[in-house]
Amino acid sequence: MAASTGVPRHPAATFAPIPFRKRIYGFGSIFGKTIRDSRLSFIIAAGMFGGLALVMGAAIGTVFPTPQARLEVGKLVGSMPASMVNLFGNATLMGDKLGTLGGYVTWKYGAMFSLGTAFWSILALSGTLAGEAARGSLDIVATSPFGKRRIALEKLAAHLVLMWLAVLVVAVMLVVSSNAFGDASLGDQVSLGNALGFSLWVGVIAMFFGGLAFALAPLLGRAGSAGVSALLMMVLWVASGLEMGGPLEAISPFHWTVTHIPLVGFYDWAGVLAVGVVGVVFLVIGLELFNRRDLGVTAGLSLPSLPADVLGVRGPVSRAFGDQLPRALSWGVGLAIWGALLASLAGPFADQVAKDPAMGQIFKQIFPGFDFTTAGSWLQLYLELFLIAAGFAAATFVSKWASDETGGRLEVVLANPLARARWVVAGGIAALLAVAVMTAGFALGIGLGAASVSGTTGAAIVGTLAMGLVAAAMVGVGVAIGGLWRTSLAAEITALVVVATYLIDLLAPALNLPDWFHQLALTAHLGQPMIGSWDPVGIVACAVIAVGGIALGAWGLTRRDVAR
Amino acid sequence: MPPVITLEKLTKTYGKSRGIIDVDLEVQQGEVFGFLGPNGAGKTTTIRTMLDLIRPTSGRASVFGIESTADPVAIHRRIGYIPGEFALYDRLTGKQTLEYFANLRGGVDPAYQASLIERFDLDTGKRFKTYSKGNKQKVGVVAALQHKPELLVLDEPTSGLDPLVQQTFFETLREAVADGASVFLSSHILSEVEKTCGRVAIIRDGRLTKVDTIEGLRDLAHHQVELRFSGPVPTAAFEAIPGVSDLAAEDHTLRMRVAGPITPVVRAAAQYELLDFVSREPSLEETFLAQYGREAVEAGPDGR
Repeated sequence: MAASTGVPRHPAATFAPIPFRKRIYGFGSIFGKTIRDSRLSFIIAAGMFGGLALVMGAAIGTVFPTPQARLEVGKLVGSMPASMVNLFGNATLMGDKLGTLGGYVTWKYGAMFSLGTAFWSILALSGTLAGEAARGSLDIVATSPFGKRRIALEKLAAHLVLMWLAVLVVAVMLVVSSNAFGDASLGDQVSLGNALGFSLWVGVIAMFFGGLAFALAPLLGRAGSAGVSALLMMVLWVASGLEMGGPLEAISPFHWTVTHIPLVGFYDWAGVLAVGVVGVVFLVIGLELFNRRDLGVTAGLSLPSLPADVLGVRGPVSRAFGDQLPRALSWGVGLAIWGALLASLAGPFADQVAKDPAMGQIFKQIFPGFDFTTAGSWLQLYLELFLIAAGFAAATFVSKWASDETGGRLEVVLANPLARARWVVAGGIAALLAVAVMTAGFALGIGLGAASVSGTTGAAIVGTLAMGLVAAAMVGVGVAIGGLWRTSLAAEITALVVVATYLIDLLAPALNLPDWFHQLALTAHLGQPMIGSWDPVGIVACAVIAVGGIALGAWGLTRRDVAR
Repeated sequence: MPPVITLEKLTKTYGKSRGIIDVDLEVQQGEVFGFLGPNGAGKTTTIRTMLDLIRPTSGRASVFGIESTADPVAIHRRIGYIPGEFALYDRLTGKQTLEYFANLRGGVDPAYQASLIERFDLDTGKRFKTYSKGNKQKVGVVAALQHKPELLVLDEPTSGLDPLVQQTFFETLREAVADGASVFLSSHILSEVEKTCGRVAIIRDGRLTKVDTIEGLRDLAHHQVELRFSGPVPTAAFEAIPGVSDLAAEDHTLRMRVAGPITPVVRAAAQYELLDFVSREPSLEETFLAQYGREAVEAGPDGR
């Protein structure tokens, strides 16, 4: 037996016990600290998805108040090509129940709940250990008197608790919304059991892809695991939604649960259980890999790097743009794929409506002012989502600009003969150029998607400029906040402005709120750009906010201390 | 010749937190000026205020006779700065990083840049994020020196550098000074200040407590004297000598602390039969600790 040598320095020392509340939330445990660190993301996720659940109930109750209107929804969806219908929810199986509040929410937004929550889980679980390892702080945590497995377990548990709490909020909001705004005679009421069934599905999907990211993180690092998991999630969703068949559809958790539509009373517990079990297996694999592998050592993904010339070292604008370019290209490519997919679906459907005047009449009743014989009209329906994406992209560009200061580079940069205002203006211009790259990617995607089915989407391609305008305005907002106040909060506040704008635009008409309140949303002033109908007020407003915001930021930074 | 740096009653507070208070000092042209203080004493705050990265709450800082808040760009054009903690561009290689900072200054002498890279044995082909801490610091050092600035403002510049590279760094610094540069060197490593600087300011709790030459600081020094007698220890013969304190007798040995001239002690000791006489002059570090207390050096990083 190995003998212990030495004398403990505190042989009989007793310390005050750590309060339970600090173990749950605070600095009393790894779990508590992780919960504390994740509070903002929880508030955003629960707020966004809970808010969406609430607002959708109100919107559907207002827009489709009569049995006739509900019937038209059913006809509308029923007349769409299956390939487009089931991408968002199993409308075929729902049949008449699509016209209920639960059916419509499932069809139009069900995938958004699960994809959004899963995306949150991917980001959180790919970064909770790998990100900390990359920063170097994990070395210190790992030298605390816990095993690596326990560290990973506590961090994992913290995210799972918050994720399940967020989907519980969604369930509660669905029940509240359906009972407050729905019509019982139309079958709108969603019971707590049904809502929990829906939330359970959202949660296991998130656990599946979050677990995959967690399992890959020790091998690929944070960016690699998040990228692979997010890409796979989108591919498997599309494979299931478009009923592509083959192995991709077979391994898709969306396919396994395609008949689980609890908001209209259809359940497939076996499918949900299967997704959950695989998710847990991924999580266990992640735990074990983290436990067995060297800390912070990853295989890494050999991603192609940009040529040195475009990284920009000639001056502040080119340097800032060089920093923005990788994420601008990422957004551009992602949006291009999205745009191509939607445009390729919208074109044929527009042709189908054009050939069937009766169907066109139905659409006109539900969406007055829209001409559904053009692909642009279909894309206009998704404009709100495009604008949210553009806003979030802008927030990430603001974050990159801000990282000069938050990362400690600005101190070195400003010690050169470079005025503060010039740095802000250079960063703002670079962020706007990044917006241009992203917008060009989206426009290209729409063009290619339409061309692939011989469709014409000229107006829609020009309409993508609306995304660029909103993103530019959000860059202005972020730079203004960063310059005037602090860069460490600029991106977060920009993202909150994006969410608030979206909710105002969605909520105000649905809840019959005063018009002035609706007008606060920048996105309410853009007209219908995807069909070529522009509102000059919105264009001017976006330009003024973009340029004015950068100018304000430049002025603000000359008046405050540079942070370290 | 006007001073290269002038701080007048320079004060910076962060809300209720202390930063620096009423700091007054001047650094002359061609001087290597040391700025000493424990962690959190206010060294970095002083530098950042001087360079207009943060704004003074009151008082003023002038560099090259230009008030820091009036025309910081004119100041920055003539300085080289190594921050205490810094990060640069992860995706850029060392070469690209240096090229960028050279471009921001309108270009540098490529031969001098290359000589610095060679001297510091820096592999500039790697991306910044892959560098070790020491190599990242080397990039910062070369970026600060490559344009031959008139004034070098260095905040803990040797952090992360190995002893050989530190030696190279101080050699380069001496050459820059010989070439007409001035240096403001903030450090808590007393030995490097002792070897490099002509004058030193000591800051503690945000206030300057001493500005003096290295020699002047040494005058603060005491001698630790140990006398071994063949007979009984004549403690009383030493008690009355001015500057003598901390007398401790043990067997035939007498130990004491002597501040100021040591001659009276030597004279008194000569009256007795001595077996040994040991006098040791402490390093500046020991002087610093004796003057300001070990706790000052080991103070927590609660200040800035």
